Amino acid sequence: MAMRMLGMALGKDVVVVVVAGCSSVIQGNAPYNAYNVPVVNVAFAAGPALASGLARAYKQKGKDVTVVVWAGDGGTADIGFASLSGAAERNEDFIYVCVDNEAYMNTGGQRSGSTPYGAVTTTTPEGKKENKKNVYFLMMAHDVPYVATASVGYPHDFIAKLKKAKQIKGFRYVHVLAPDPYGWLFDPSKTAEVAKLAVQTCYWPLFEYERGKLTISPECMHCLDRRTRRPIRDFLSLQGRFKKLKDEDVRELEEYIDRTWEKLKKMAEG
Amino acid sequence: MMRKVISGNQAVALAVKLANVGVTGIYPITPQTTIIEELAEMRARGEISTEIVRVESEHSAMAATLGAALAGIRAFTATASQGLLYMHEMVWWTAGSRTPVVMVVGTRAVGPPWNIWNEHTDFTSERDSGWIMAFASNPQEALDLTLQAFRISEDERVFLPMMVGMDGFILSHTKTNVLVPGGEEVEEFLPPRRQPYVVDPEEPLGMGNLFPPIEYMKLRNSIDLALRNSEDAIREIGRDYVRKVNPMGDYSSLNVKYKLDDADYAVVLMGAWAGDAMEAIDKLREEGVKIGMLRIRYLRPWSEREIRNALDGKKAVLVLDRSTSFGRGGPLYVEVKSTVADVVPSVKGVVSGIGGVAVNKVDLYNLFKKFVSGIREDVIWYYPEGVEKVELRTPRDIE
Ligand SMILES: Cc1ncc(C[n+]2csc(CCOP(=O)(O)OP(=O)(O)O)c2C)c(N)n1
Ligand code: SF4
Ligand SMILES: [Mg+2]
Repeated sequence: MAMRMLGMALGKDVVVVVVAGCSSVIQGNAPYNAYNVPVVNVAFAAGPALASGLARAYKQKGKDVTVVVWAGDGGTADIGFASLSGAAERNEDFIYVCVDNEAYMNTGGQRSGSTPYGAVTTTTPEGKKENKKNVYFLMMAHDVPYVATASVGYPHDFIAKLKKAKQIKGFRYVHVLAPDPYGWLFDPSKTAEVAKLAVQTCYWPLFEYERGKLTISPECMHCLDRRTRRPIRDFLSLQGRFKKLKDEDVRELEEYIDRTWEKLKKMAEG
Repeated sequence: MMRKVISGNQAVALAVKLANVGVTGIYPITPQTTIIEELAEMRARGEISTEIVRVESEHSAMAATLGAALAGIRAFTATASQGLLYMHEMVWWTAGSRTPVVMVVGTRAVGPPWNIWNEHTDFTSERDSGWIMAFASNPQEALDLTLQAFRISEDERVFLPMMVGMDGFILSHTKTNVLVPGGEEVEEFLPPRRQPYVVDPEEPLGMGNLFPPIEYMKLRNSIDLALRNSEDAIREIGRDYVRKVNPMGDYSSLNVKYKLDDADYAVVLMGAWAGDAMEAIDKLREEGVKIGMLRIRYLRPWSEREIRNALDGKKAVLVLDRSTSFGRGGPLYVEVKSTVADVVPSVKGVVSGIGGVAVNKVDLYNLFKKFVSGIREDVIWYYPEGVEKVELRTPRDIE
């Protein structure tokens, strides 16, 4: 779903680097691929470095090509993080899209650094004990030209952010939340609803960060004040992975949301 | 001892439980993942107290496992394919540290292109790393070898890490009857952990700092010696395992012969397709062809003595590789040829079953028949589905 939006947003003259994950499988069998642009599949940890080489080569050849890395949350927050950080620090000229379904879904749903507190995965049968690693904060700490978050529940916002990213030079990071019905255990027909609820409950913030300035997206303005946030339970209760949460676990998640928004608010105020 | 119908991965998880592993660094990759998922479940159910470190890559899985091992704790990990390749640096580091560690590899092809199916190239590509390397041919053996691996690795004649390979999906995911030993039997077989040194403030020592070249070379030399010495330890431990844990097993030798002693022709291979090969051999025997098999169970140490004795005097030997050593056929072929070239007039190599290409007993029967009537080339790539000639140059040329 997120991949279709990428096509809509970026048009032609795009080369996509796909690291190991669900997106390496949904292309189908060679030599055709479902994405209609050149795709380079590469080893799990190698996306940002490979894209750096591609981008430099197109520049040398005088070709205007938008290079995009397409990676899952595991590939981003965990195994590929050193490579990602290196490319961000060098301000390499490509767009990095992290498609966050909050676990290693391609291998059957093991926890990743991006899995939230309390979620049951196949390697955390009692629920994860640690909070989600928020890679967008880390990317902002790298002081790159553009960082944005999106949710597949708000496709227009996602596409607009990708389009904007395309206009900017240097390293651009777009982190999109993409609920997975099989890993999060909810009815597939509710995918868009869950993706919206993540934003409405302020679990997943939408914002843009450009040249040091953070702007909260309109869908999230209500999150700035704790009292106007929709209760987190509305998001949690639809998903089987949070079934075992106790009241104190829910509070832990609420506090995590509070802390996240405190940080974002400070950054937005500048 | 209990009979259970379980997969290879479940068998390995049970071995880890029985061996009382203290720490495991885990990272998912198909087809090994269900081992670590099973361990996570066991831990959640309170059946094991193993610390599970859910690391962010295989490099870290081996590093975390080694860290625990250095501190004196029995440690285990498992991986496959890209994971093993990504771990490669730490695989060597662990052997160089001479620290007992056990790893299971659920074998799988290596990309690109992506392929999750069985092939042994990931496993065989570590053959120079200094590890003891065994390969199972059924889930029972996966369990038995994993348990023995702890004792072998922790034996003072050895003090090297040990990996156990098993065919991805074919063994890792297929359920068969497995004799699962009880805790007491294992306790009698597996003494408390021993290792050459423990990193501990009580005995300050520096690990892995710079050594003068001559000392470095001596250390590398000692890995070579330890690997050679391990042969006797492995046989002895194997016999003890049969005595104390699994009386149905045969672990008195490193490698396993089948109808070989009186045979004129010998097939050499490793892993699960040994089962189909034995059926093909039975059929050829019925037809009066004197053919037998040597199954390589230990790729390292490579028992030159056992292998030479087993193959000496055969008219011809056919080596089947489910892995590649590009430009040289397969690694087993290269090894066998260098071992018996002076005592066997003809050694031929076959590469097959790559990337999950299915090779069944009929295919093997046809192949062995062809072999007995004489193969001209030194190495062939065998396509059971009848691909005649391959001239692919790059991925672009795929139909
Ligand atoms: C070095 C290495 N280790 C492990 C794997 C196995 N593997 C392939 S995809 C994947 C999980 C991907 O998770 P994520 O990045 O979150 O993407 P998703 O599948 O969830 O979209 C894993 C562990 C691999 N391909 N390479
Ligand atoms: S539904 Fe889930 S498991 Fe399936 S491709 Fe999408 S993210 Fe991967
Ligand atoms: Mg994921």
